[in-house]
Amino acid sequence: MMDRDTWLEIFHTVLSNPLRTGLTGLSIALGIFILVVMQGLGAGLETGVKQTFGDDAANLMEVETGNAQLAFRGRKPNRRVELHNADEQAMRSQMDSVPAWSRLVYRWGSTVRYGNEQGSYGLRGVDPDQREIGQVNVTAGRFVSDRDIDQRRKVAVIGGQVLADLFPRGTTPEQAVGSLIQVRGIQFAVVGTFNQTGSRWENRSVYVPFSTAQKLFSNSDVVSRVAIGTGEASIDDTRETTTSLTGWLKDRLVVHPDDAEGVWVDNRNEQAEMYRQIFGGIRLFVWFVGMMTLLAGAMGVANIMAIVVRERTKEIGVRKALGATSGSIVAQISQEAVFLMLISGCIGLLAGTWLLQGIAPFVEHDFFSNPRVDFRSALLALGVLIFVGVISAIGPALRAVSIRPVEALRDE
Amino acid sequence: MIELKSIRKAYQTGSQSLTVLKGIDCTIEEGELVAIMGSSGSGKSTLLNVLGLLDDFDEGSYVLNGQNMDGLSEKAAARYRSDFLGFVFQSFNLISYKTALENVALPLYYQGVPRKERQARALSFLTKVGLADWAEHLPNQMSGGQKQRVAIARALIANPSVILADEPTGALDSVTSDEVMALLKEINSEGITIVVVTHENEIANQCDRIIRLKDGRIEGANA
Repeated sequence: MMDRDTWLEIFHTVLSNPLRTGLTGLSIALGIFILVVMQGLGAGLETGVKQTFGDDAANLMEVETGNAQLAFRGRKPNRRVELHNADEQAMRSQMDSVPAWSRLVYRWGSTVRYGNEQGSYGLRGVDPDQREIGQVNVTAGRFVSDRDIDQRRKVAVIGGQVLADLFPRGTTPEQAVGSLIQVRGIQFAVVGTFNQTGSRWENRSVYVPFSTAQKLFSNSDVVSRVAIGTGEASIDDTRETTTSLTGWLKDRLVVHPDDAEGVWVDNRNEQAEMYRQIFGGIRLFVWFVGMMTLLAGAMGVANIMAIVVRERTKEIGVRKALGATSGSIVAQISQEAVFLMLISGCIGLLAGTWLLQGIAPFVEHDFFSNPRVDFRSALLALGVLIFVGVISAIGPALRAVSIRPVEALRDE
Repeated sequence: MIELKSIRKAYQTGSQSLTVLKGIDCTIEEGELVAIMGSSGSGKSTLLNVLGLLDDFDEGSYVLNGQNMDGLSEKAAARYRSDFLGFVFQSFNLISYKTALENVALPLYYQGVPRKERQARALSFLTKVGLADWAEHLPNQMSGGQKQRVAIARALIANPSVILADEPTGALDSVTSDEVMALLKEINSEGITIVVVTHENEIANQCDRIIRLKDGRIEGANA
């Protein structure tokens, strides 16, 4: 089918009017180029935002307290609201069932020392379920255990950056397990290490048992935050839980029902859903714009093919007289259109990929990272291109088929 | 070889119907060299198109090489054209961006003959019409007579039973015309039936028989 004659035909058509072919090709190349670049930028935005916010699992809720703004039941406005161990236990017992539950206390800027090296890191007192809730990727040793909680053990699970900063160069996670470190001046045993690929901040953290942290570093029975895994619960279920839990908490902690800042439940499911929708929208928009540009290009190709057919009416008539079937004429016209679109499309694809790779190192930002074209999108774009190529060739090809040799060969 | 019975053909132009062929009866025997003559509007081009399966007809019957040609599909017509018929046109109708050799080989391409064999056969037919040295030339590098000889080689290559020539000398001077006619006669002497449409008496007189058309009917014939 694609023998030398076929190629000769294609090259002749494509090269017989370089300017026209060039302009048509340019519109296709530009269409694909815009599609690829926009898609790449969209992906970069998504990756950046995910790296910044998306370090935890999406299926969780977080209970936090703050400053109540409104006076309520004799309490003054602008007062500090705290969640104590008793509140936390009451809250837990009134929940139906929870797939995962972790209390947290935070101490930012905690000094951690190993030998002569020291640095400032985030200290997190957590329950064992935090491993699941925070999707902690343990690289060596183990995570905080129930026994650690019960016995208030002084054990720590350190992040990859902490390991790299404090331990001698080349220390493997396995070698670090078992070492003794000083956390806020108190000796802890390293029982595990973790590494979060998707996040900048997580790796600068040290996890210790919640009970240990509360006793040693907070001198109170205050719980900074409670993270509740929601498992497979649907978004509507989590919304319902959020509402009822918020109501219960406000009642127990004596916070006005309209007070937004005394105590709140942060439903990450909702946030994740929002991000999903935003990025879904961006992706849709990118494809829509890209497709429209491609469509404009395809019309250009349809146009050039229509002109080609008109110019070659006589030739097509001769070919028919010499035994060409309608099928072979349609094949010829379609091949030319698809060839033209594929070549210019590939140029656009390469140019777009090249641009994205060229700019990638210079555009790192909290909300923007690693713009790229994934292979699937590129293949999809190529598939769309071929499809559009065939579609754009159908009109002119049918016109060519409808040419009757008699009319084509009639001398003026 | 060719048997036409009461062929009628009308063209629809808007609401009007123009009858071009009003009942053509004629028989052309195998190996004949026949001229079809007539003034413009007599229907001679239409008749040639019908003979060449380039156009259909409304009524009557057409038997070519013992096979009935009524109501052919386009695909079947294309196959019969490529199997039985060779065409020579007034304006040559060579493909401008193909060399003489490629032009001659084109009908074989549509018959699915492999490229090597196509080239070899095309070259032998170019040699036959005396243009072997011009195989790699493009049509616009050749004279009218040469182009028509290339076109004749192209018509011959598929080994047709009948060659239909539409004013083959219409665009040529008298000397070249004679050369082309001599070539056609030589081909005819090898047993191929040839039908020439012309309005020139000198050309028609070189044929075995003249069919004269007037207003869509055959006027008379002489031997």
